[in-house]
Formats: sequence, C-alpha cells, structure tokens
Amino acid sequence: MNRDRVIVFFLWFVLWALGEFLIIGTNLFRYPVAAAEEATIVDSAFRFLTVLAVPVPAFVLSVLVYSVLRFRSSGPDQDGPPVHINRSWAVFWLAWTTGLTLFVMVFPGVTGVLEIRHHASKPVDLLVQAQGIRYAWVLTYPELGGFSTQELVVPVGKHVRFEVTANDVLHSFWIPAFRIKIDAVPGMTTTVSATPTLTGSFAEDPQFRLQCAELCGLDHNKMRLPVRVVSEPDFAAWVAAQPTRPARTP
Amino acid sequence: MSTLAAFRWIGRGLLFALIGLAVGAAVALALTGLTGRPPAEPVIALGYTGALLGWLLGVGLWDVWAREWLGLSTRSLGAEGWQRYFRFNTDHKVVGVQYLVTFVVILLLAGLLAVLLRIELMSPGQELLQPRDFNTTMSLHGIMMVAVAVATIIGGFANFALPLLIGAEDVAFPRVNAFSYWIIPPVAVLLLLTPFFGGFDTGWTGYPPLSVGPVPQGTLLFLLAFLTFGLSSILGGMNFLVTIAKLRAPGMTWGRLPIFVWSVFAAAIISLTATQFVAAGLLMVILDRVVGTAFFDAARGGDALLFEHVFWFYSHPAVYIMILPAFGIELEILSHFSRKPLFGYKLVVGSFFAIVALSFLVWAHHLYTSGMQDFLHIPFMITTELISIPTGVVFLAALGTIWRGRLWLTTPMLFVLAVVFNFLIGGLTGIFLADVPTDIHLQDTYFVVAHFHYTIVGGEVFAIFAGIYYWFPKITGRMYNENLGKLHFWWMFLLYNATFLPMFWTGVWGMNRRVADYTPNLATLNQVISILSFGLAASFLVFVYNMVVSWARGAAAAASPWRARTLEWQTSSPPPLENFPAPPQVVGYPYDYGTPGAVHAIVPVAGGSADAGTKETSHG
Repeated sequence: MNRDRVIVFFLWFVLWALGEFLIIGTNLFRYPVAAAEEATIVDSAFRFLTVLAVPVPAFVLSVLVYSVLRFRSSGPDQDGPPVHINRSWAVFWLAWTTGLTLFVMVFPGVTGVLEIRHHASKPVDLLVQAQGIRYAWVLTYPELGGFSTQELVVPVGKHVRFEVTANDVLHSFWIPAFRIKIDAVPGMTTTVSATPTLTGSFAEDPQFRLQCAELCGLDHNKMRLPVRVVSEPDFAAWVAAQPTRPARTP
Repeated sequence: MSTLAAFRWIGRGLLFALIGLAVGAAVALALTGLTGRPPAEPVIALGYTGALLGWLLGVGLWDVWAREWLGLSTRSLGAEGWQRYFRFNTDHKVVGVQYLVTFVVILLLAGLLAVLLRIELMSPGQELLQPRDFNTTMSLHGIMMVAVAVATIIGGFANFALPLLIGAEDVAFPRVNAFSYWIIPPVAVLLLLTPFFGGFDTGWTGYPPLSVGPVPQGTLLFLLAFLTFGLSSILGGMNFLVTIAKLRAPGMTWGRLPIFVWSVFAAAIISLTATQFVAAGLLMVILDRVVGTAFFDAARGGDALLFEHVFWFYSHPAVYIMILPAFGIELEILSHFSRKPLFGYKLVVGSFFAIVALSFLVWAHHLYTSGMQDFLHIPFMITTELISIPTGVVFLAALGTIWRGRLWLTTPMLFVLAVVFNFLIGGLTGIFLADVPTDIHLQDTYFVVAHFHYTIVGGEVFAIFAGIYYWFPKITGRMYNENLGKLHFWWMFLLYNATFLPMFWTGVWGMNRRVADYTPNLATLNQVISILSFGLAASFLVFVYNMVVSWARGAAAAASPWRARTLEWQTSSPPPLENFPAPPQVVGYPYDYGTPGAVHAIVPVAGGSADAGTKETSHG
C-alpha cells in the first residue's frame, strides 16, 4: 500500500535534484548580458524564482507519470476506491501553496520593487530625454547642450535617468541589456533609470539596444536604436564631438 | 432541391442584410452631409448596424421571435435533419453543435494564420509578408483565437451538454441562445473583410491612440466585430446563470451539480459582468473614430492610459472565462476515466469562486510598465499571486482523483492529463510575470507569448479537444476512431510542447512580441520553432480526418460508451428533442464510483425506468 507513496516521493526528489542541477549546474538557464545594476536585480529575482519553483513541477510530474504507469486499466469495469477527500492532504496542500505564495510575494516581489525604487531614488548623474515618434526615438541630452542623437550613448557607472514621452501613439522604451522598460504615453512623461555597469555596444551584443516594445503600427519592429556604454573619458569625448544646438534667439 | 431549400433562411438573411446596409449607409450619408464630417467611417458603422439587424431578422429572428412583438403568432423554421443546423434553431443541442463546428473552423483558420507568421519568422528580416500584412495576420490570429477560447466551451459544450447534465429540457432562454449564435457569423465576416479595408495593425488589444487613427478602416471593422462578439458573450453568460439557477431537475441540488456545471456557472458570472466593461471601452474607441469624441486623445483632454485599465478589467477576468470551464472538463473527465470520485469537490467549487472574485482584482498586472502610478505595483502583484492558491486546489483535485484510480487511457483522458502538465508550466511561468522585477524585463516579450499559449492552448484548447472526443459519441451518435485519436494526441502533445517551450528562451533573450524582424542572435532558435510549428499544424489533419470520417461512417455509439455516471449518458446518443421523456429524478452525487448501489438519478425511459450509475461494478 505505502509502496506507491514511497516511490512517488523518491521520484520527486530525483526530479527535483535533476531540475536544480539543470538550473545551477548547466548553461541551459543562462541570461543575456546584464549591463546595469537594475539588470542584476531582475536576474537574481528570476533565478531565485526558478530555483524555488522546481519542486512544484517535480512533484506534479511524479504523481502524474507514476499514476499513469501504475494505475492504468483497460476499461470501465473496475472502480477505484471511493475516496472523496483526504483532509490532512488537503490541509497540507493548502498550507504549502499558501506559504510559498506569501513567500514569493515578499521575496523577491516586494523586496525587489523596493530595491528598484531605492536605485531610482539615488542622485541622478545624467538626464536623457527620449521621445517616441513612429518609427524612431529622438534622444536629447538637455543638460549637455541639448543636442539630439540617433544612438544612445551613456557613461559606465553613472546613474542615468530617462524621461520618456510620445506624441502620437503608445511606445515602450526597452533596453534588454539593462532590463528596464517603461511605456511612452502621449500626454504624460514617464521615467525609468539605470546605472550601467559594463561597457558594450550593439555591434558587439544585440542586447545593447533601445527597442520599442509596445505595438505602434506598421514599422514597429524597425523602431530600435543602438545603445553604447562607454568609459567616462570616452563619453566626455563623444559629448564634445556633438554639434551644439543652435542658440535660440528669444 | 431540398439542399438548396436548406439555405433559404441564410439567403434571406443575406438579402435583408444588404437592405439594412443600404438603409444604414443612407442615414450615415445624410447625417455627415448635414454635419460636414468625412462620411467613410459613419457609413461603415451605421451600415454595419443596419446589416446586422437585417441579417438577424432575415435569418429567422422575425419568424421565431419578432412577430410576437407585433402581436403576430411565431413559427418554427423546422427542426429536422441536417438542415436544422443552418437555421435559427432554439434547440440547445443544435446551437451547441453550431457553435462547436463554427469555432473549430475558426480555430483551424487562425492556426493557418499562425503558420504564415512562423514562415515569416523563420529568419530575421522581413521577407514574406509586407509590414501591413504581417500586422494584420498577427492581429487576426490573436482576435480569432481569443474568440475561439471564449466561445468554444461555453457556446459549444455548455450549450450541448449542460442542460443534459442538469436534467433540463433546454436552456432558460432558447431564443436568446439562438440569437447569441447567429450574431457570430457577422463577426467572422467583418474580421475576414479587414484585409480588404487596409487591414488592422493594433493587435487584438486595440489600444488607442493607435486604434483611433489615423489608421486603416480595417481597424473599425475589427472594433465593431469585437463589440458584437462581446454582446454574444454577455447574453450567453446570462442564459447559463439562469439555466443553472432555475432549470435543474428535481433533486439536482447545488451539492450534486457536476463540476463542469459549476465551472460554467463561475465563468458565466464573469462573462455577464466583465464583458460589459470592454464593450464600453470599445464603444468609446469607436466614438472617438466615428463621431470625433476624445476619450483617449491626450491633446484634447483625453487619457490614453484609461483604455488599458478598462480593457484589462475585462480581459484579465476573460482568461478565466476561458480556463474555468476547461478546469471543469478536466476534472469531469479525470473522475469518470479514473473511476473514482472527484477529490475535494467542495474545495474545488470554493476555489472556482475564489478565482472569480480575485480575477476582478488583478488587471493592472498587465500595466506594470505602462506608466501607471508606482504605488499600484505591489497591491496588484499581491492579488495576482494570490490566485495561485485556488488554482493549486485544482491541481490537488486532479492528482487526488487519479491517485489509485483505475485510469482508462482513452483519447479524452490523455488530453486532460496533458492539461494538467501544460497548465502547470503555464501557471508557474505566470509567477514570473506577476512578479514586478522580472515582469519589467519580460513584459511584451515572447516569454509572455509562451506563457499565455501554455495556459490557453496547453490548458484550454487541450481541454476543448478532450471535450470533443468525450462528447463526440453523444453529439453524433457515432464513435470516433480511437487509434487516430491517440495518434492526434501524441502528435499534438509532443510538437506543441516542442514548439512553445523554446519561446520562453527567446523572450528572455530579448525577442519582443508582434514583430516580423528580430536580432540575428535569435535566428537559430526561431528557425527551430518555425519548423516544429509546421509539424504541430499538420497534426490537425489527423483530427479533421477522424472527425469527418467518423461522423459520416463511424460505428454507432451506445447511450453510455464510457459508462460515466452523469445524466447526459443516461439518454440516447444523440439525445431526442427535449432530452428526456420526463424529468429525471436526481437522488445522489454524480461521482460515487466505487460505492456499490450508489445512484445518481432515476431516468425515465420509454416504457420503464432506469437507474443511472447503478451498473454493478467490482471494486478491486
């Protein structure tokens, strides 16, 4: 009688261990380059959730596969035992699902949100304005002379805030390498920020790109710009090479 | 000649639709002439409204229903032979089959559109489809599949089987029921016409300002189709709530309702209430386009973000209109084919209602990156993650039911076992999207695409196929080919998982949704996915062949080929008009497998009476 249970528990632990090995011990769950502090928060939340989740499918699969192999029958002639519920199992099930749910709400849920907010509230070193227009992004550096570019260039190690707007339809400002995303909404200014930690460029890695992630019409998929993270001296040199905005006469 | 006569009512519907179209268009032209606004969109909107009314009256609403409003006597259009499926028919079984066949056809068409998308996605860059065609194909695939997911179970199976399951003659409002089916063909026509009106490139979500314009008039056709479909959904929800509340057979207490009936009851609550919100939202977009209001135009005091809230206030509960009845089919079939009582019946019913309540409180998890106020993130993350608790109960019930049962692995049983597996992946990956930090990266990527295809295809569409095979003998009076059924199952199950599982990776690696072009690092994985998806598409040929041939020439089905205990199996296959010779007397629980002598219902038969579920079974 209890043999069934023992085998299922054994199967469960084997599958559980196998799953954790795939996540931690192999390259299968590799992430794209994480080039900002914000990316590290997202990736560690992702990794934690994956590791935590494994016993759940391992258990369900164990019961499912074992039952199909062990309890199969060839027709409707025999009935199973008339068990309507097993109270202790039901209580146990509700307890662990509730416990796990409450746990992930707090960690990495609430803690992750607070960490991202904490990062966003740090002093801003550089402000970049991004306006979504079908099908391009117009990037402006208002504190550095107000020039506009078609490539996002930011210095490594500096806290960059992006002010995002749109004046036609919805767009979304997404930089995969930074794991940041915020919609561009007509009529309002949204903000998102990142502190790059690695230098890199679109030419080396396609994750360094500013991609529109909200369907905006015909050429939505062409709405992307290269992103380049450079050292501080390189950034200063790049800024110096930009044309200054023609002085406006009042 | 009788073949031609069968389409007489549809022909009259088309004729009346043309008249309605002309009248509506003329009114629109007169009004725009007076106000000096461009006539194109008002002509489409009012012309369509006229055509819809004309179509409904012509196809049979006039004879079966509307004559009564003028004090005239109504008349039936005839309920005999195959011709009844092409008429305004109020028999719930006819309406159920109409829904099922219509939506299986739409499912296959929308599947073909997905094949087109996957051909385009075989390699980076835009090759096969022009940008407009890609967006239209993608948007059509989306809205058609959403319609399939919303209507196939409630419109098809609930219509066919639910009155039988509760021992009723029909649904509470048979004419409303026929009405809610016959407004579907105009929806299909509008959607299929969109490519000829410049297509529509908004996706099924239709977010303004993009959906307000300036974009092609195909968008207006899509909005009108969606709104019409919503009306059907609202009426269907109302009908099933009243049917379950008022038409249960004597003795069919709430505690004896089969679990599928409970699941439809829960979904119908959402269908009746939440759908009205998206209908209002769509109407506001239509008004912005057609009469120049500015609900969503920021430059004139409107708010673009407002629509996202209204839309998801319906569209998140709507996924539970899809999945709750799928859970119902899953648990129903698991109990009958495990020959064991459903594990934790009351707990499952309670969890269905917990899901309904929570489903209204989670919509803004679609809006974490939308620019809404930051302080809303944590509350919506909490409510969203709470849903895993009642959903977990469904898994407990599934596993508790099969444990130590006598599993008869027929095609429907295989499909519901696959539902358990697929929905497990769908549910777990949902946590990554409910969690704010991970969702910031994953929002609008293929991770989301993979997740909702796991829940809705892996969960619901697999349950739909389970339901088709399970009720096929009852619907057609014939058996399907079991070997072909199993071939279809394994082919579909393996290739479905092989196709959609890698999409989680493409999403994490930076592939965003709704694009024809992507960065070269994703080329290999996309090519593999595309090739696998063609194999998945081919599996449906086996299904179609099996269905067509079995319906025409399959072996005659017994009244109860599965020896299941619920009431639909205690009448002939197919059941007669009004289902039972006299109302069944329900005396017990439907899932008392393994209890010798337990009876679910006493069903009158011609010339005597039979006890349902009393077949002597050895218990070993």
